[in-house]
Amino acid sequence: MAWNPDDPGLRAQLRGLRIASRRASPLRGGGQHRGRDRGAGLEFSQYRGYEPGDEPRRIDWKLYARSDRFFVREAERDSPLAVWVLLDASASMSQADESRPDLSRLDAARTFAACIAEIALRQGDRAGLAALREDALALVPAAAGTRQRERLLFALRGTGAGGGAPAAERLRPLWERIAADDVVVVLGDFLDPVLPELALRLAAARREVLAIQLLTVAERDFPFDDGRRFIDPESGQALPGDARALRAGFLARFGEAQRALHARFAEAGIRSVVHVLDEPVLRPLQALFGGGTRGGGA
Amino acid sequence: MNPMLLAPAGLAALAALALPLLIHLARRQQQRPTVFAALRWLSARPRPRRRLRFDEPWLLAVRLLLVALLALLLAHPVLQGTEDARPRLLVAPGVEPAQVQAARAEAGADARWLAPGFPGLDQPPSASGDGGASLLREFDAALPPEAPLTVLVPRRWQGGDGARLQLSRPVEWRIAGEGTAEEPLERAAPRMAIRYDAAHRAAAGFLRAAAVAWQEADTEGPDSAASAQLPGPEPDVLAWLHAGAPPPEVLGWAGEGGQLLLPMEAELPDGLVAMVAWRDATGAPLLQVAPFGRGRVAQWLRPLAPAQLPQLLEPDFAVALQRLLLPPAAPTLVAASDYHPGTGAAAAPAASIDLRPWLALAIALLALLERWLATSRRRGAMA
Repeated sequence: MAWNPDDPGLRAQLRGLRIASRRASPLRGGGQHRGRDRGAGLEFSQYRGYEPGDEPRRIDWKLYARSDRFFVREAERDSPLAVWVLLDASASMSQADESRPDLSRLDAARTFAACIAEIALRQGDRAGLAALREDALALVPAAAGTRQRERLLFALRGTGAGGGAPAAERLRPLWERIAADDVVVVLGDFLDPVLPELALRLAAARREVLAIQLLTVAERDFPFDDGRRFIDPESGQALPGDARALRAGFLARFGEAQRALHARFAEAGIRSVVHVLDEPVLRPLQALFGGGTRGGGA
Repeated sequence: MNPMLLAPAGLAALAALALPLLIHLARRQQQRPTVFAALRWLSARPRPRRRLRFDEPWLLAVRLLLVALLALLLAHPVLQGTEDARPRLLVAPGVEPAQVQAARAEAGADARWLAPGFPGLDQPPSASGDGGASLLREFDAALPPEAPLTVLVPRRWQGGDGARLQLSRPVEWRIAGEGTAEEPLERAAPRMAIRYDAAHRAAAGFLRAAAVAWQEADTEGPDSAASAQLPGPEPDVLAWLHAGAPPPEVLGWAGEGGQLLLPMEAELPDGLVAMVAWRDATGAPLLQVAPFGRGRVAQWLRPLAPAQLPQLLEPDFAVALQRLLLPPAAPTLVAASDYHPGTGAAAAPAASIDLRPWLALAIALLALLERWLATSRRRGAMA
């Protein structure tokens, strides 16, 4: 299997990396990140029946008025920073190269997701995951702790690529979960406009957005030189053609489109890097998380 | 040296050249499905101009060459004009040796005897010049049209036949020897020697009468003796009237070219196939004749007595017997000056070298090369 989240070598290399929000100011407060908690336990977790010894001020009086019973609001201790991984799980992510058919785009994306979660959890932040598919939105709420790591890895293992890009209303839970100033890392091929648009809107709504674009070697080099039927995995469209004749035009247009996309990202304040499948995994991570606010880009 | 095709219609097989081209094109057109998510940037241009291209050009070249050679093989290629057009000199047997040498030194050409097999002049000349005209026609037909031909014949040539000589080329017709061909030919009357035993004394009388009738009036009588001795001066016909098989020396004489006449009681040598040469008016056989060596053996099929053979008493018996035993020879002797060959015979088709065996060899080698190329390619693709 090409994706191994427990690769000890990779985990060791993550040690020097750190996720930091550009919006966080070291001058405010003593914590590592700027937090929004103005008291204890603002992030609601659950209601629990009153037990002797509980502080009376933690009783939810409005609920007592409705139900005539004492309930205690329990809240989680909030970490100041939540790191969300937005994983594109459309069919195009299953594309792999002919030179290495066992390593798909999705495998690389899962590796990145696992690494980012590892970094975030290691520095005590919360990590969450959302895998975006046309038919389902697999969501792991942001949380901290060792068990969260297992939950994320389990969710990643179960993630398969298929279908097209999700519709806008399917993305609504994201807006409810991802709070302002959260860090959002978007992993995808960005060939479909849905995910880039989402990233731009998140960035416009004061979320700290990072983007890792995953491209195959074929998209970078177009190494075909014989007759091919190119098939789009999402729409099913087919284009027969002689690869040698198509190469120059494709490379020019594709490069132009990608440059325009990354320029839009940069305008919106999104730091983005391009990862081609035959490159080392660590390079984009170092570009994004290695040197504070140093931005990558295509 | 000009190559040509004997069956140009075979070149229609060149249409098969399309087969390897199609094979190599068809591979090009079979397109591998490729998952490619960035299709949007591929289809921006309407349809890519597709150039005609072929896979594995070397293998294709070998296959095309193979098909072309096969078509050429069907067209039966030959190489013409490889014969030498040196001048030839033919010498008829009978020319004086000194003149042969002189002509040979002068011509400096390929000189041969006008004899069966056309041996070179360094071989001894064959004895007879029989069939000279026929041999000359044969040599002319086998000779390249542009080779000049010189024929050296004696003034009296023993080689003519019933037709005028007509060759495909003008011939330098040289007549060797001085004098004129008009000298009269003398043909001596045939002489018959008769040897008989006691039982054939009466029969010998009839033959002696015939022999006397052959001779001129004033010559001496025929050589007739009641003995078993061979006659001294060689006669034209020997009537050996003894019962049983003739002795070997008599047969040997006949094999040398003599005409041997045997009675009914004699035994023919083994293996002789005789044909009836004389029948009476009712068709009953009277005399059979068999070739023997260069001579002939004739045998009576009836006793030589008037009771059994009434023809003995016929007035033309002697003439009939002479015609049977000594048939007149075909007139082959011609005056060379009157026998100058004319032209007008159709030139024989020029000999040519058949290129097909070499072509087949080349095809076999190419086929091996093609197999090697094809299989090694496949092996390389599998590895």
